[in-house]
Amino acid sequence: MERLVAVLATELSREGEGGEEVRQFAELLGIVETICPWVTPIRLGLCTFPVRGPSRLLGGDSAVLAAVRMDLERAGFVVRLGIAPGLFAATVAAERGAIVGEGELEAFLAPLDVSVLERPDLTRLLPRLGVRTLGAFADLGAREVYARFGPDALSCHRVASGEEGELPGRRDPGIFRRLRAVGGGEDATSVQQGFDGGTDRLEQRAAMVATRLQQRLGSASVMVARPRGGRCPSDQGAFVPFGGLSPAVSTTVPPWPAHLPAPAPTTVYVDPHPAQLLDAGGAPVVVLRSGLLSATPAVCVLGEGRPRSLDAYGGPWPLVERWWGAQRRRARLQVVCSDGTALLLIFENRQWWLEAVYD
Amino acid sequence: MWLRYEHMFASPTPLPARPELNQDLVARVRPLAAASSRRLPLLSALHPLLGDGIQRGSSTVVVAPRGGGGSTLGLTLLTAASSAGHWCGVVGLHDPGVMAMADLGVDLRRVVFVAAEGGRSIEVAGELTDGVDLVLLALRSPAPYAAARQLLARVRDRRAALVVVTTVERHWPIGGDVEIRVSDSTWTGPEHGHGCLTGRRATVLVGGRRMGGAPRRHTLWLPTAEGEIALMEGA
Repeated sequence: MERLVAVLATELSREGEGGEEVRQFAELLGIVETICPWVTPIRLGLCTFPVRGPSRLLGGDSAVLAAVRMDLERAGFVVRLGIAPGLFAATVAAERGAIVGEGELEAFLAPLDVSVLERPDLTRLLPRLGVRTLGAFADLGAREVYARFGPDALSCHRVASGEEGELPGRRDPGIFRRLRAVGGGEDATSVQQGFDGGTDRLEQRAAMVATRLQQRLGSASVMVARPRGGRCPSDQGAFVPFGGLSPAVSTTVPPWPAHLPAPAPTTVYVDPHPAQLLDAGGAPVVVLRSGLLSATPAVCVLGEGRPRSLDAYGGPWPLVERWWGAQRRRARLQVVCSDGTALLLIFENRQWWLEAVYD
Repeated sequence: MWLRYEHMFASPTPLPARPELNQDLVARVRPLAAASSRRLPLLSALHPLLGDGIQRGSSTVVVAPRGGGGSTLGLTLLTAASSAGHWCGVVGLHDPGVMAMADLGVDLRRVVFVAAEGGRSIEVAGELTDGVDLVLLALRSPAPYAAARQLLARVRDRRAALVVVTTVERHWPIGGDVEIRVSDSTWTGPEHGHGCLTGRRATVLVGGRRMGGAPRRHTLWLPTAEGEIALMEGA
């Protein structure tokens, strides 16, 4: 489950008469967007963005929160911030100002009172049964919860046990439209209207299903792809959560120097897997400072897998770039295994990684 | 002297060239395929193999060894349909390469990717047929017979089309209307440190209920040096 930063502006969560809150929320989104471009407005007064990228860039989760808080306070917004995996936990974390790590979700959810689910029926019934916390609720079997409380409670149960990221129906489906009405929401929401100001029927049909799946599986489970410029396959495209109608994806890729020649790999790992490259004698092969291989590679081992012998290889192609000030040295190597598979390996910090597969 | 009336319209300076149209806009206003047609469009390079379209309500099973071109072939079946305005859904395909899909010709503006595993991926594929015309399901584990049958019934009922991509043939328990098997493939390009990947030659066997007769053998570029798919001449 993706860890999200939740930005909660309670003052803006209730819409007044003049629509001033919507305009201010759009302004808030614009400011948050300068820190992370993938901001998703959830409902009035609440937006989220994935923390991974900004955290790497700024050097830690608390640095991200500090940056967001500083920028928003300068513009006069009072917000509460939190980080946790999934929308539900992130919202609760924002209310409590907590930062929840990757493996800490269950421990964070367990002591919470069942009232955080905001389900009056469950909040009334569960304490009478002696179930007062989300942890105790999660300990009940899914079958029992279904039998006693019905299918709706099952999604609450999955959220309480950390299996699913969000409760259905907590997103405001009209938020994109309202933000667009005040202008300024367009960039923040990556929504583009059709040529005639509306959207065609096929598109609406697809969007309806995608939104339904998003509510069930979490917004990060339903994605659209956007090409963009980059040198490595992993930089050349991004997946962003399906957001509203007609995601604005450009089909043209801007030219970018030093990218690999076509064909491009069909599987590009978001998190590269460790790999080993060995010569005929079984000794590791490395890329020397001169940009050449230390020996002729003969065997490739992926993770814990069995060794595969190599038929051919191309490269290495060195790749030196300044990445946010720190110089980053990498080299890429294409290898063809004897079973007919072609892999793209990348060498960085004296370690080989499997970056992509030409499936 | 300028006497004829045509000269009234003659311009002393050449007219400015027409401004380039925004390609996004052109794609948007192009007439979209009729939702009621019985076939979904198919890349013309694949017409000699599979006929001139993907029948609505049908299933196409692509079997290829791991890393043997299953993703490339499966995604290629989405290219013509997505470009013609049909929405497509992709379920269970791990980390697909965006550049490769763009090079193959998939119109990424109309493709929704859903991350789901095992039994849930089959359920999600069924749900997607409510909203998209073509669903690609990448299987990593065996599909239960009942779930597979239910999915096929839903695909027929919604007049969508299903593409199943798997590395192990028995993972999909029901024979497809069209079955494409990649039997062997060879990459060309790199040798000992020289050159880079330029293309893959793959032999495929095309059979299935709807194709009739014995499976036919074809040799394909999967893909070519431009990242597209082409039938090999004279093979």
